[in-house]
Amino acid sequence: MEYVIQQGLNALSFGAEYALLALGLAIVFSIMGLVNFAHGEIIAVGGYTMVAFAALAIGNPVIVMAGAVIAAMLASLTLERVAFRPVRKADPTTGLLTAFGVSIVLQNVFLMFVSPRPIAVTSLYFLDWPIEIAGIRLASLQVFETLTTIVVIVALMLFLRRTVLGLAVRAASLDFEMVRLTGIKANRVFAMAFLISGLLAGLACIFIMARRGSVDPHLGFDPVLKAFVACVVGGFGSLPGAVLGGFLLGAVEVAMLVMLPQSLGGMTDAFVFMIVALILIWRPDGILSPAIEKGDKL
Amino acid sequence: MTPARPLIDEGRASQADRMLTIQDLHVFHGPIEAVHGISLNVERGKCISLLGPNGAGKTSTISAITGIARATGSIRFEDREISADSVEARIASGIAVSPEGRRIFSNLTILENLTLGAALQRDQAEKGRDIDHWFSLFPILAERRDQAAGTLSGGEQQMLAIARALMARPKILLLDEPSLGLAPKIVRQIFDLIGTLKDKGMTILLVEQNATQALKLADYAYLMSSGRIVAHGTADELGKSDKLMAELTGVA
Amino acid sequence: MIRLSQSQRSGLVGAALLAAVLVVIGVATLYFGSRYQIRLVYSAYVNLIVVLGLQVFMGNARITNLSHSAFMGIGAYAAALCVTPENIKKISLPAAPWGLADFSLDPVLSAAIAIVITAVLAFLLGLFIVRLTSIGATIVTLAVLVIVHAVFLYRTDIFKGNQAFFGIPQVFDLGWVVGIAILAVVVCRLFRESRWGIQLRASADDEVGAAAMGVQIYKLRLIAWVLGAVILAVAGICYAYFLGTISARPFYFNHVFLTLAMLILGGMRTVTGAVLGTFLISFGLEGVRYLETGPVLLGIDLPEALGLSGIALGAVIVLTMALRPTGIMGNREIETLFVRKTF
Ligand SMILES: Nc1ncnc2c1ncn2[C@@H]1O[C@H](COP(=O)(O)OP(=O)(O)O)[C@@H](O)[C@H]1O
Ligand SMILES: [Mg+2]
Repeated sequence: MEYVIQQGLNALSFGAEYALLALGLAIVFSIMGLVNFAHGEIIAVGGYTMVAFAALAIGNPVIVMAGAVIAAMLASLTLERVAFRPVRKADPTTGLLTAFGVSIVLQNVFLMFVSPRPIAVTSLYFLDWPIEIAGIRLASLQVFETLTTIVVIVALMLFLRRTVLGLAVRAASLDFEMVRLTGIKANRVFAMAFLISGLLAGLACIFIMARRGSVDPHLGFDPVLKAFVACVVGGFGSLPGAVLGGFLLGAVEVAMLVMLPQSLGGMTDAFVFMIVALILIWRPDGILSPAIEKGDKL
Repeated sequence: MTPARPLIDEGRASQADRMLTIQDLHVFHGPIEAVHGISLNVERGKCISLLGPNGAGKTSTISAITGIARATGSIRFEDREISADSVEARIASGIAVSPEGRRIFSNLTILENLTLGAALQRDQAEKGRDIDHWFSLFPILAERRDQAAGTLSGGEQQMLAIARALMARPKILLLDEPSLGLAPKIVRQIFDLIGTLKDKGMTILLVEQNATQALKLADYAYLMSSGRIVAHGTADELGKSDKLMAELTGVA
Repeated sequence: MIRLSQSQRSGLVGAALLAAVLVVIGVATLYFGSRYQIRLVYSAYVNLIVVLGLQVFMGNARITNLSHSAFMGIGAYAAALCVTPENIKKISLPAAPWGLADFSLDPVLSAAIAIVITAVLAFLLGLFIVRLTSIGATIVTLAVLVIVHAVFLYRTDIFKGNQAFFGIPQVFDLGWVVGIAILAVVVCRLFRESRWGIQLRASADDEVGAAAMGVQIYKLRLIAWVLGAVILAVAGICYAYFLGTISARPFYFNHVFLTLAMLILGGMRTVTGAVLGTFLISFGLEGVRYLETGPVLLGIDLPEALGLSGIALGAVIVLTMALRPTGIMGNREIETLFVRKTF
């Protein structure tokens, strides 16, 4: 029984991280049909910001964490301006390829200007200590991560329901042109979506860095690949779908780790992707696909 | 076909009354030119109707006014050339549109749709009063204020689309085929509403295929066909012309 | 006797022009190139075949494929497993199951088997992929890439994972790959201009309209998908038969992006674009790699700049998408550059 609860909590915290990342992808996709594969590099920007703080001998964890999040948000905004604005009106494939291009450029920028090798960041180790409650052993990091994700989901929901810009972001996923016809500036809506996306990447960055303790140019690639999968499974462009997909993926992954024999350990990813492919074949638009046709984009 | 009457009826209104003046407007969809140089006026406080069969270029004209479609020519709004302005700037200057096909935000609630309509409205109290006003006018919208707008019937969606446009407190209201696809009883309601708006002094450009109803309301009307204005006049003049019926029914 | 349509005949003219270019580059390299340059040009030709295999599906069905390097890998490994002599396999694959280490075949038969295996696998996967909408299909191809790579890494008893699978007879030289690349160009052009290719492109532009005209879009996509996979398998075989050793790493994301960038830059809608993009990027990257080593240029000692080639590659993709999403060639094939358009 304890073992089940233990694994359930593991799945929850895995899922929380995927949900955080998947939301960041989904909010951008929902308004402009862009599969932002460069999301992973936004995470890496956060990681390298931590390196920079360490180099400046700034160890205050609040500054380090806030700095990483702000850097991620700025990076996300910048990418929107520089790389994604020209392909705003383009089809999803063009956007996807652009994002791949941006991702490759950024990875190599890190490689060239910082280092191809991992750089240790120790300032966040303090976030991680073992907890034991009623025989269930957890890492404090798992708890923080799950709680953060819950707070983020609630805050995002409030934003999307209670503010005009939030309403515009939701409406834009259906009919961007009509949103402009209410007088809301398209650029503001895009900027907002990327800002939120960057914020989510920055938060995820804190947890990824606290766990790994180092950053390298490929820091974000694997997590975002998984988050991408979560989005697809949940229904691309659907925010509830992204959350559902994230937690589902966490569950599948933990289940795979638990149930697959040791000898098949290397195949976890293969099985995860196989399940994704099967889900897509079963429901080509994902489990919670947005019900309505997307309106014309700008 | 007899030649069209002179395009601008200079005697009709003095310059000062003109709210929206369009001259030699060409509208393009990609490489295709849909409207070939039309001119029209909308005077302050008047209801002007733009009639014509399907594909005549009416929606294209509306899209050019809001800046959605690429266009050349002059569009003056309140004595200011707006043809170089962005869509958002034109809306901010006082143009509101209830577009063809209504295009309500079906994934948002009715209340949220109205709130978005007033996106540029800074005064919260005013916004609240406007929402109350529309809810008292359309009790059905009030009842279902927190339901997704996609669950409304076609007629209700049209009411919502008009209310959403008016939430911006515009100086001019562009209505693109508000009666399209609605039952006769609902159509009458919609036209009653437009009549009420007109009586309250709203300036309206009403695009319609339903000429009979539109002409009852309109002070002046333009008849479009194949991207050109083929006739224009007061409702009485046009209502009596055979040309109108011929154009609209396609029997020439 | 196969009857060719008007468009196929002009396609053959275009293919002949491209073939001439391929022959010139190949011959010039053979006579004037160093060993290193021959190797470089050889890998450019292998990548050309990959890009052509990619173009058959992506260019005609307009669905982005990310699994092509996996199919190349399948072809390469299947051929390598068949053709490598038993005595070498006994050493390199001591734990090989199903008697894989107990036989060896001649290169032609091995290649044929590799092609058939790849085609069958592609067909089975294709049955599902062709039914998905564009981005969904792309994601499933991504899943295929990850899964195939995981299998290569996991079954070290068969594939040796990231270690070198060695001892493959080096039966190909530059001449062979030039010939095969020309063959691939001809096949791609003939397919593109065939009734199937034309219908498939029409349906990519207007799916509903084409379906209304009775175009069987799934069937056509599947044909293009399998044909593409066969060409990719051939590319994998060329790769293995020249180098003599293979490993899993070259059949993963880096190669996917490299070849994708080639196709995108040249223009995925045309075969000419595939050829042009491949050579531009192959030779362009070689120049950038030279800069990466920190050479002395015009008396200036440049610093070492690892990552420059990656930045260049990514920038090519981003700029192409922003400035000219249909690539350099757009919808134009090579022959239209010479023949004046007549209306
Ligand atoms: N988005 C578009 N792309 C291409 N052609 C269009 C587009 N919208 C309208 N058209 C064409 O422009 C012409 C005018 O259409 P429209 O303005 O919608 O007419 P109306 O509103 O009077 O029915 C039609 O021939 C129509 O086919
Ligand atoms: Mg219309």
